[in-house]
Amino acid sequence: MSVIERLKTMATKSPWIYRINAGSCNGCDVEMATCALIPRYDVERLGCQYCGSPRHADIVLISGPLTRRVLDATLRVFDEIPDPKVTVAVGVCPISGGIFRESYAVLAPIDQYFPVDVNVPGCPPRPQAIIEGIAQAVQIWRERL
Amino acid sequence: MNFLRLFARNLREGPYTEAFPFAPAPTAKRFRGKIEFDAETCEGCRLCERVCPAGAIKMERTAEGMTFDCWHDTCVFCGNCEFHCPTKSIHQTADWHLAHRQEDKYRMVEHGLIPFQVCTECGSKGLATAPAAGSANPPLTAEEFQHVKSLCPKCRGKFMRARKTKAKA
Amino acid sequence: MSSQIAILIAVLLFPGGLFALALGLGLKGADRRIAARLQGRVGPPLVQPFLDLVKLAFKRTMVPTTAHDLVFLGAPLIGVVSMLVAAALVPISGVYSPAPALGNLLVLIYLLLVPAVVLMLAGSSSSSPYGAIGFSREMALMMAYEAPLVLIVAAVAVRTGMAQGHWVTFSLTEIVEYQRTHGLFLLDPVMWPAVAAFGFFYPANLGIVPFDIPEAETEVLEGPLLEYSGPALGLFKIMSALKAVVVIGLDIALFMPLPLDGVPAFLGWVVEMVVLMVAGVTVLRISMGRMRIDQAFVFFLRWPLLLAAASLAVVVV
Repeated sequence: MSVIERLKTMATKSPWIYRINAGSCNGCDVEMATCALIPRYDVERLGCQYCGSPRHADIVLISGPLTRRVLDATLRVFDEIPDPKVTVAVGVCPISGGIFRESYAVLAPIDQYFPVDVNVPGCPPRPQAIIEGIAQAVQIWRERL
Repeated sequence: MNFLRLFARNLREGPYTEAFPFAPAPTAKRFRGKIEFDAETCEGCRLCERVCPAGAIKMERTAEGMTFDCWHDTCVFCGNCEFHCPTKSIHQTADWHLAHRQEDKYRMVEHGLIPFQVCTECGSKGLATAPAAGSANPPLTAEEFQHVKSLCPKCRGKFMRARKTKAKA
Repeated sequence: MSSQIAILIAVLLFPGGLFALALGLGLKGADRRIAARLQGRVGPPLVQPFLDLVKLAFKRTMVPTTAHDLVFLGAPLIGVVSMLVAAALVPISGVYSPAPALGNLLVLIYLLLVPAVVLMLAGSSSSSPYGAIGFSREMALMMAYEAPLVLIVAAVAVRTGMAQGHWVTFSLTEIVEYQRTHGLFLLDPVMWPAVAAFGFFYPANLGIVPFDIPEAETEVLEGPLLEYSGPALGLFKIMSALKAVVVIGLDIALFMPLPLDGVPAFLGWVVEMVVLMVAGVTVLRISMGRMRIDQAFVFFLRWPLLLAAASLAVVVV
């Protein structure tokens, strides 16, 4: 393994996470916050860190069915995240629309607008499931580095 | 100064963190997870499709028979279908390992098929659903159940009416 | 010529440069891990800040179209260089004393200002409203905590200078030497207010809760650092790691240099570093909420200033 490859493997141990709420009911957001804040789950152990600025992020967690009002803002924030990045759709809403499907006000599924890489279904998914999704996202991220 | 006591306790007792990504996570026995469907015992009443709030369950008549599809990416794990199912052929497991890559998105489905069969009495084509045994009095025996299951809806009605009059007499 | 090479080694290898960077990153890692343990979590590995740096090196640097490129990308470089020089200015009792040609305590105080100025430059050149808010807050906070620092340093300098028969000395080497022979200032009741004031100053300078108002993640999205990404952000992380070493090293040099020599002195110095980091930064960080900028301003102009002034007054009189 060359030095660069080894450094890349080291780099994947520091995925910084950014959350985008695209009109979510806050259920998934609470579970995402739970991952970091509750000692029982503690994602910081895996090197993860929630960052305040999209410019610092590596993995984007998007929750919510993408309401029509937030589409423009969400796309702009998404473009602010530097490459290489990985997108994770958290909850059934961004994946299929879930309970809000076929509403005139939502644009789900979000893979029409964002290059989604990993889906974590659940309403909301439990924190362990989100951690599992992040682990899969890290694998994809390693391929893109 | 209560927080200093908390710090001392945390240091003494060690971390509370689960070993999760490196070891299986503890899951409650009644955790509401992935839906499982058993086509053998399904009556084909389509009640689950009607009560599903997210519209995740679709039952359709196709050339092979009646199909059952539950999309895990739409299911909100409310458990309505299991609660309303008269034959308990829908079961909610405690499996929550549903995170998947985008290319697997359209494979996240629980699929079941109730095939067509040829009636053993009249020879016409009908669905091989389980008989609606709930209302039968006295309850169906195992042999009777298998026999009724092999009939078409018309012959089933005939058999059940005959059984009722026999029981009265 | 050889003295110039010695200075170069001091700036780039030991005790500045690579050594200070490794120690700073280690301190940051220890801080995160111990904070996690105190909160009942496992926490990241000790090398996590280093892994973060490696990760940032692989990311793309984005420069906002409305930003001033030169200032935006030059600011972190200025900060890192100033901190490298500052790290070479801090003596380690019994191991290292800076060459007089490199500078003295006054130069160190000026260099300690640079990271704050650099953050202000970064915030204002990024053309982001959050950066501008961070800029104004950084400025207010800096003005508040620099005043006590000057008085603390004056108290120490006058105390040493008067004991040596002249008015004041600004040589850190002399201050350390004086304490090695006459006892630590930490054990001198006259200096206790100054020690306490420094205890308030260094969390503010390192920018941690409750004094991380300019870089508040949840309010102004990390303020001046908002628009930075990739290697440029990594430079800021390096700067803050070096700053931790410089500020805590200054604390040790001013008040508690161990009267030891050789390897035990070095180990003792590292242990003092870690203890000061844990006691003054980690515990404070996880047990307090963030202050408002006006509260922090008034706080610094009241208590630390009063304490430092008390020390100075007693020393002078």
